[in-house]
Amino acid sequence: MKMTPAFKKAQGNMAPGVITAGGFLGDDKRDIKDIITEDEERMEYFSLDYETVCDKLEYLLEKGGKGLGEFTTVDDTWLVRTLEARGHLPCPFEDGIHRKITCEAVNLKNNRKILFSTISIHLLREHHFHEGKGSEFRLDPESLKKVLEI
Amino acid sequence: MNVIFVAPLIVSGIAAVLAALISILDMIVNNYGIVKIVINKGKKELEVKGGGNLLQLLAGNDIFLPSACGGRGSCGACKCVVKTDIGPLLPTETPYMTKDEIDVNTRLSCQIKVKKDIEIEIPDVLFNVKQLEGVVEKISDITHDIKELYISIGEETIEFEAGMYVQLVVPPYGKIKGETQRAYSMSSPPSDKNHVEILVRLVPGGIATTWVHTELKEGDKVKVIGPFGDFHRMETDATMICIAGGSGMAPFKSIFKDMYERKINNREVWYFFGARTGKDMFFLDELRELEKKWDKFHFVPALSEPEESDNWSGETGLITAVLHKYLKDKISSDTDREGYLCGGPGMIAACKSVLTDNGIPLEKIYFDNFA
Repeated sequence: MKMTPAFKKAQGNMAPGVITAGGFLGDDKRDIKDIITEDEERMEYFSLDYETVCDKLEYLLEKGGKGLGEFTTVDDTWLVRTLEARGHLPCPFEDGIHRKITCEAVNLKNNRKILFSTISIHLLREHHFHEGKGSEFRLDPESLKKVLEI
Repeated sequence: MNVIFVAPLIVSGIAAVLAALISILDMIVNNYGIVKIVINKGKKELEVKGGGNLLQLLAGNDIFLPSACGGRGSCGACKCVVKTDIGPLLPTETPYMTKDEIDVNTRLSCQIKVKKDIEIEIPDVLFNVKQLEGVVEKISDITHDIKELYISIGEETIEFEAGMYVQLVVPPYGKIKGETQRAYSMSSPPSDKNHVEILVRLVPGGIATTWVHTELKEGDKVKVIGPFGDFHRMETDATMICIAGGSGMAPFKSIFKDMYERKINNREVWYFFGARTGKDMFFLDELRELEKKWDKFHFVPALSEPEESDNWSGETGLITAVLHKYLKDKISSDTDREGYLCGGPGMIAACKSVLTDNGIPLEKIYFDNFA
């Protein structure tokens, strides 16, 4: 995959302070094409496909909303809390805006946790971007496998 | 040999001349000079250096519009009506605007550049908003993920109605390079004019909440901007049905304390507070004590998933289910009732629907949706 001008623009938008104060890259200094390529390979290694993962994340985000801002147990498997803040965030790839809804999901069997938001699901589904290493919202393929049990 | 040295010098020289030329052109083209901002038909007039965004230019002159994101264009809070033609609505503004707002040329002040004289309208109440320099007097751990900040603003004073909020200014820290702001309801009563008290719940990934929970210490200097908001107690005799969870406790703590201090105890007040387990519940003793002293105040805490170790004998289930039960069986519908809500949009929507299903009209439901 090449770092096209659109990718370069997106990488710029992912820096701290552009869209979110913390940015989307964490400590990762790599080009986003390298991050995406490596994560796509790891998704394949863990036998995960993007549609199934994103559908599951959306399911948890929606079920977590029933807790009205508190943690709630979902399907006896996950402890989930969905929080919504005021406003929207644009996608760094500049293809839409998303409400600021975050979701924390803990697998009760292994205590592994993921943190994601509506924009994380979009980044994963449309761009296969899991965020950089060190980003609090990074959806590492191994964590996805262990937390989501798929 | 000479060519080897001279060629880079020539290239560098040309580059330097071009850079200087661009710089001069930029100064000429982007120099808007001094421009005038006329506010509310001349109630206030500012003369500012043109070219900056309206939100910052106003703040630089001590006029603070609400902003939950600190000017990043992601919260949609810093709206004002612009009476001058400043060009079409930007794509970054449209998601936040209703049709009615577009019709009167409402704009996001953080997104528009002031390049010529403009006239704007803002609520008069915003003239009272101040930036306050304070010192963190006390930080208390209220639960495992909620801290209470008690900020002294020294000789300064803050005049507000119970229920209003302030914006906490978060300085750069760690990987966070820029200053940002977040809104928090005040939990202190209006009588405590030299302090601002807020409840901050740790939100994973949250810039302000992480700063408060991991960086901020007693004795640190902080900046708050406020007061903002129109969430407050209505001056009626209607029964107040108040509902909150988590840090949504804050405005209600302020409202109840204010009512008690001012002996406004002639109306029924029901306070429903939801948490998941005992470790998420707080201020139980204080609120039960208030219940003993104030016969028309009724506190209904509920746990949605109590644990055995909680030894919980109170209500269980989601706060909406508990609310529905009380509205059906325990709260008289013979007198007028008003709903007061503080929580996230999901909680607000769910509670609004329970209240309306039980005969409380939408226009009598008041809410603050960014606890």
